[in-house]
Amino acid sequence: MRFALRLSAIGLACTALLGSPRAGAASSTPAAKPQHIMSINMCADLLLLQLVPKSRIASVSYLAHDGAAELFPGADTGVPINRGTAEDVLKEKPDLILAGQASTPITTALAKRVGAQVVQVQESNNFRDIRDFIKQIGEAVGEQARAAVLVRHIDMTLGELAANPPRRLSRVVAWTGGSSVPGRESLTNAIIEAAGAVNIAALPGRRYTTFGVEDLLQADPDALLFEGVSSGTPSLRSDEGQHRLVRKIYGARRISYNQAAYGCGLPQSADAARDLRRALDALPERRRKR
Amino acid sequence: MKCPSRPPSYLVPGLSLIVLLALAAASLFVGRVYVSPVDLIAGLASSHSTLAALVVTELRLPRAVLAILVGASLGLSGAVLQGLLRNPLAEPGLLGVSNGAAVGAVISIYFGLAHAFPLATPLLALAGSMIAGALTFAFGRTSTLSLILAGAAVSSLMASFLAMALNFAPSPYAAYEMSTWMLGSLSERSWDHIMLAAPFIAIGMLILAMMGQAIDALALGETQALSLGIHLNRTRILVLLGVGLAVGAATSVTGSIGFIGLVAPHLVRPFVGHQPSRTLLPSTFLGAAVLLLADLGTRVIPTNTELKLGMLTSLLGAPFFFWLIVRMQKTAP
Repeated sequence: MRFALRLSAIGLACTALLGSPRAGAASSTPAAKPQHIMSINMCADLLLLQLVPKSRIASVSYLAHDGAAELFPGADTGVPINRGTAEDVLKEKPDLILAGQASTPITTALAKRVGAQVVQVQESNNFRDIRDFIKQIGEAVGEQARAAVLVRHIDMTLGELAANPPRRLSRVVAWTGGSSVPGRESLTNAIIEAAGAVNIAALPGRRYTTFGVEDLLQADPDALLFEGVSSGTPSLRSDEGQHRLVRKIYGARRISYNQAAYGCGLPQSADAARDLRRALDALPERRRKR
Repeated sequence: MKCPSRPPSYLVPGLSLIVLLALAAASLFVGRVYVSPVDLIAGLASSHSTLAALVVTELRLPRAVLAILVGASLGLSGAVLQGLLRNPLAEPGLLGVSNGAAVGAVISIYFGLAHAFPLATPLLALAGSMIAGALTFAFGRTSTLSLILAGAAVSSLMASFLAMALNFAPSPYAAYEMSTWMLGSLSERSWDHIMLAAPFIAIGMLILAMMGQAIDALALGETQALSLGIHLNRTRILVLLGVGLAVGAATSVTGSIGFIGLVAPHLVRPFVGHQPSRTLLPSTFLGAAVLLLADLGTRVIPTNTELKLGMLTSLLGAPFFFWLIVRMQKTAP
């Protein structure tokens, strides 16, 4: 999913004929609250929808809908969408643009022409990153108080998880096909750890790794976390994850997770850790055969 | 003058088969997880769900069987097409059937038909390869050269449809999945995939295997073949049908795998001579062996991210192309 988000950002950036990542970044501390905010980054979209009223949103990216439908259905209803193109920027004349890491001088130049500031958001790979992300966007859109509430929600949820240890230490892996599995430096890993479990694909220094069915059998995890298809969009990986051996062995020990909360650093990522803890605690005790 | 002696007709197919069996056996012992050979052999006969038994019977054995089926269908298709078209560069991709199959499979994946109906992907891949083959035949039935040109045009058309699918992918992630799928892979394949593809591959290969006499006659030229009683259009249709069935079904479960159909016949030709029918059986075995070897390569070459099979065969196939050009230049009169 992280891969998806990176690709999404790159895809949007490419459409907008973008280039160097840093040059377009400009910090934004507007005196007045921006009233016409355009987001061309999926994670920024999902946070923006939680921070400001729809009336202040010029548009969110076309990728926002699936995530919004998973996390807060209907929250994006009526909000215009963009494809992150240069024409979108010119047409909407936003006063603030929330862009991903692949923002470029062209975006900045266009932003200046339409009188907008550009805030470049970083990927979140752990809960500290998420707090920074929320604070950054909250400040940019002039909703620091609302951002602080969201950060407190994260702190409170994680605090509760830390104070109440899980029923048992579970070994899990986020596995929806073995070609790209979240490793140690991923947000998924942070959520698994926050839930009090161990990510068996957390190899040193690797964000994503190949973890085939053979690896799975050898590692023998207690549960598999798999990306749900709640958006209804079919996925090759979800098909790959239907290997008959995996179905046979882990059919009853698969926990579906919310792609948006695991891929984007959001307040809901803390909820995802809490939900994972509950799901793992609810699994029956396992008798290992091998 | 004494003619140079040619090896007995059974020797090259026999040796190819031995190489194939050796590689198939090796593929059972190589994987991401080390399991001792003794445990693996015991696992083959075991009815218990031990790690070794599961790895060998549910993962490595179906993977090897699928590699053999796919490689054999590509090798045989290449040999028949090189004979039919009398062109050393002919391979399934040349007639557009590979890309046609990929388009069919991508449509199935794109619209989620495979979830609703498991046979959707192989059937649509077959339909794609058949449509591509029919188009090629419709525009190229008048001569071999026309067939090659029509094949190139259809191949480009199908490639543009694939590009269109990528262009209109619902998200960059979906585009990434499609392009990754098109790189070809045998990993995470199971007996289910074999059950889906094997019947079509078998029928296609059977049709192709019966083309020996026709392509031998065609080696003498189209006029001579006609005078020998070969029905050219029927032969072309049957070859397209056979290639469409075999390669379409193979592509539908593994993605696009190039160069095997080109390389295998050339590897055997120096040993069996230039009678096209004599290349069929060894090309079948060697196509399977080359694909098994490439698949072993994807497992033993240490990479963090899985090495894709189609990428590896292309990487190995490109230098072969250069060698072929140099060889043709040397042997040209």
